Amino acid sequence: MNQRITANLASILTLAIIWEALGRGLQTILIPPLSQVGSAWLHLIKNGGLLENLIISLGTLVVGFFLALTLGVAIGVLMGSFEKVEHCLDLYINGLMASPTIAFIPVLILWFGLGVQSRIVVVFLFSFFVIAVNTMTGIKYVDSSLVEMSRSFGAKGWELFYKVQLPAALPMIMAGVKLGVGRAVKGMVTGEVVLALTGTGAMIMQYGSAFATDALFAIILTILVVALIAMKIVEVIDRRLTSWKVEIAVE
Amino acid sequence: MAGSGMLEIQQVSKTFQKVVKEKTMEVKALTEVELSIRDKEFVSIIGPSGCGKTTLLKIIDGLIPCDGGQVLINGRKVTAPGPDRAVVFQSFALLPWRTVLANVEFSLELRQVPKEERSQIARTYVERVGLSEFEDHFPHEISGGMQQRAGLARALAVKPLILLMDEPFGSVDAQTRQLLQEELLELWQREQKTVVFITHSMDEAVYLSDRVVVMTPRPGRVAEILNVPLPRPRIGHDVRRSREFVELTNYIWESLKKAMRTTQ
Repeated sequence: MNQRITANLASILTLAIIWEALGRGLQTILIPPLSQVGSAWLHLIKNGGLLENLIISLGTLVVGFFLALTLGVAIGVLMGSFEKVEHCLDLYINGLMASPTIAFIPVLILWFGLGVQSRIVVVFLFSFFVIAVNTMTGIKYVDSSLVEMSRSFGAKGWELFYKVQLPAALPMIMAGVKLGVGRAVKGMVTGEVVLALTGTGAMIMQYGSAFATDALFAIILTILVVALIAMKIVEVIDRRLTSWKVEIAVE
Repeated sequence: MAGSGMLEIQQVSKTFQKVVKEKTMEVKALTEVELSIRDKEFVSIIGPSGCGKTTLLKIIDGLIPCDGGQVLINGRKVTAPGPDRAVVFQSFALLPWRTVLANVEFSLELRQVPKEERSQIARTYVERVGLSEFEDHFPHEISGGMQQRAGLARALAVKPLILLMDEPFGSVDAQTRQLLQEELLELWQREQKTVVFITHSMDEAVYLSDRVVVMTPRPGRVAEILNVPLPRPRIGHDVRRSREFVELTNYIWESLKKAMRTTQ
């Protein structure tokens, strides 16, 4: 673990130095030095409204992602448990998962308008499918010998599900949640850029079209950090829930 | 659990539907298996791979229905898994997210034993199989032999009349296997249970059993039933090297060969 942190820090430091050097050497607006990006970031925080916009963005992210999480796990469980449900739904799930979400945006505008609802739906659409499919796979491929053993000792229905199938599928479900949270961040920015100019997405467009590259990079880096933190949160939860699995990996 | 662990297998047949290259084929796994097992008797069932031994065990447990004949326990027909039976699985089938103790408690949980009693009973059986030191370990942290001891403790904890064992020592090394066999005999003598033991080791069958049932290849049926008159307790003696023991294993081998030839 310590080795990993050292490697992470070394990699960040190297990139920062190269960036700074390139920016200073090239003297172009296209690549502002990192230090300049840093001071632009401080400025954005103080009086550029970055925090306010970030809170708007995060609001959409949280609501959209939790909708995707709840519905994704619920539908995934139903599909994984009942073959009929799977056969009814897998066509749509696979079709929608493979098609670009952006293609649905005109429809979303018609249905939900240009407000916050549309953006929540975009976040939802970005992250829902991978959570549903992973959950389904996890439940469907639970080690059949564990199910047989439980049935032999008298487990049935709901008890079998929450004592055996759900915990057994948890590593797979959490892998889907982790992918889903990353996609939710993408959905958040996409919604803000394409649908309605608010939040960090609006700032990207605003500073981008003004060629204020230092501020632009500052916002992009902020979103990157948000994505990393969101993934990290899921990772920590995952490690708590499936600690028995992690120990196997360490061996 | 009070009562007697008498088991009657009457004319049990089972056919599976198997889909091969989109064609449904019927595979006859068992045909008219007939066998009576006395209360507290230790019976091994031996036969070539694919003879339906495990299928028979699952039918006795009530996990799958038979499509001909019936299984009676104390005269009552088996329709589903019940508290009078417990299975020890070849693959151990321990829940990887539960510790040894919690795995043993699992069977008690499913049988609605109250919480305080549960951990007390589980501890007793964990101790009986010699795993007290490892009760807080997860399955992947202990050896295969220990995992199966936990599986055995889990089955014994619910105090079944009949213990169904499906090649329980099939996936541990030879030395551990002998050790587990001796431990099983000790536990069996102490716990007084009917045991149905599936194996394909002739040695194991003779060493453990009162009677050995030889099955034919698919479709499985009883080819021969053999008494094992070796004196008990068999622990601590060099039973395995006695002339009688060798003769019995040789006899089973001949019987198996004959059963395999006649069907092929």
